[in-house]
Amino acid sequence: MAYLIDGPLWYFSLAVFCIGVVWRIGGIVFARRKADFSVARGPAAPGAFKTLFSRFVPHREIAPQIGIQVVAGYLFHLGLFALLLFAVPHVEFIEHNLLGFGWTPMPHWAFIVASQFAFLGLIVLWLRRLLNPVSRLISTFDDHAVAILTFIVMLTGCLALLRGFEELRLLHRFSVEIWLMYFPFSSLMHTFTFIPSRAFTGAWFGRRGIDA
Amino acid sequence: MLCALLAQVAGASNIPPKAPASPNGVSTVNPGAELWREVRQRDGKNVGISQVRGVDTGVLINTEGDRWARFRINNPVRFAPLVFGGVILLLFGFYVIRGKVGIDGGLSGNMIKRFTDHERILHWTLAIVFLFLAVTGLILLLGRSLLIPIFGQQAFALMASASKEGHNLFGPIFLLSLLLMLFSFARRNIYQRGDLTWLLRGGGFIGKGHVTGGFFNMGEKSWYWLVILVGLAISISGLILVSPNFGQGRVIMEISHVVHVLGAIALIAVAIGHMYMGSIGTEGSAEAMISGYVDINWAEAHHDRWARECRDKNLIVPAAEFARLQGEKTPSGIPAIGKEQ
Repeated sequence: MAYLIDGPLWYFSLAVFCIGVVWRIGGIVFARRKADFSVARGPAAPGAFKTLFSRFVPHREIAPQIGIQVVAGYLFHLGLFALLLFAVPHVEFIEHNLLGFGWTPMPHWAFIVASQFAFLGLIVLWLRRLLNPVSRLISTFDDHAVAILTFIVMLTGCLALLRGFEELRLLHRFSVEIWLMYFPFSSLMHTFTFIPSRAFTGAWFGRRGIDA
Repeated sequence: MLCALLAQVAGASNIPPKAPASPNGVSTVNPGAELWREVRQRDGKNVGISQVRGVDTGVLINTEGDRWARFRINNPVRFAPLVFGGVILLLFGFYVIRGKVGIDGGLSGNMIKRFTDHERILHWTLAIVFLFLAVTGLILLLGRSLLIPIFGQQAFALMASASKEGHNLFGPIFLLSLLLMLFSFARRNIYQRGDLTWLLRGGGFIGKGHVTGGFFNMGEKSWYWLVILVGLAISISGLILVSPNFGQGRVIMEISHVVHVLGAIALIAVAIGHMYMGSIGTEGSAEAMISGYVDINWAEAHHDRWARECRDKNLIVPAAEFARLQGEKTPSGIPAIGKEQ
């Protein structure tokens, strides 16, 4: 089992992830779009740039309604980002198995705080999805699957934190491999698409002279 | 540590042997007996000298630890399964005798808003984290006696390691959720006139007629304050246990552990009752924490004063409107909530 998880399954999941992500991004980039023959009312680039950053802050009109979502969203994403790239086991893994070099990992206390942020954020976001009727209505199976799968990956990682049991490490790695294989076919793709998506919308706004 | 041991050895060397010598002139007493009696501090606490500066560093063996370990094994470990089993048996018996607590006239379908999205998210966050902590905590507490015979030592070691990491990690999230719960619900849970009547009438089970109640009744208020106060005691004692480097001695750690374990057992036992009452025990209760709305008949049966206020303010949501708000699909298959938009 250890051989399978550390060897063939790892390389297979990595291949599915890389090819799948490239395929999805390629599909978006090379998708046929109708040419816009309208007269441009403004430049596209500043609109793209503005929208890219303005969407980090909720619009004033809707901020009170989505406050909890925004706070939980930031807690989760920043916590997960810190865990993924700065946890000691991850930095060591990247150094020894992927890139050949590493960087300074975060201290243990920071790891604990980051994981608590990430867990709290994810739980609150998923509960909101379930409990708010509008969110529940627009949520698909994929949205729930992604939340549960990400939670399992984070949980197995934290349960293996002591690094004393090979079985716990394998369980975490196996859950990561499932997550990687599911990634390109799910809404997890927003990791890569949110920047071009915002820029595209912003560019269209800019060209149409919309200040939003 | 070594200096403390040497100090004990030096002291022990001056102690004359108490046991008589054997006829052939050879002592039958273990020559180390007196030394270890001193080291283990059988006759009282004996603090030695150590180069290491810190709390309890002069104590070679903490005899109070033995007392604590015996207490842990003889009390919480032994009685916790009995407490949980007793509560479950009691609820089962109650359900068999009394059945589901129904509503006179049944559910009407007309609803009143009881909890906001934020309040329900907070409740379920606390509930999820609490359940996780309860399971991992019980694995740590009862695993040796209950799980090792089933899964074996190796598997239990793995479960215990995972549980410890998970338990320590989720503990502060519980504390944060608890504090948010305190700020969000405290005002509505202050005891008022009439609450004692509710208690004396056993929530309506004793005597005839209906017992009056406001937004929260006495039982709900008491459960709330139990969660807050015992939850805070568990959280603070847990933080003391998980952060041993803040200068607290072994005795404080042992007391914290006792508070943590006894508080958790009490809270889990009452939580089982709460889960029963909020789901299969009472008709229409679960809806409050699922959709945030309750049936008007349910409100009148359990919280009549609040129901009257809602009627006066015309806050009743008709069944069709409630279905629309919940996004239930129309016969055409289009969600009503989306159809309007």
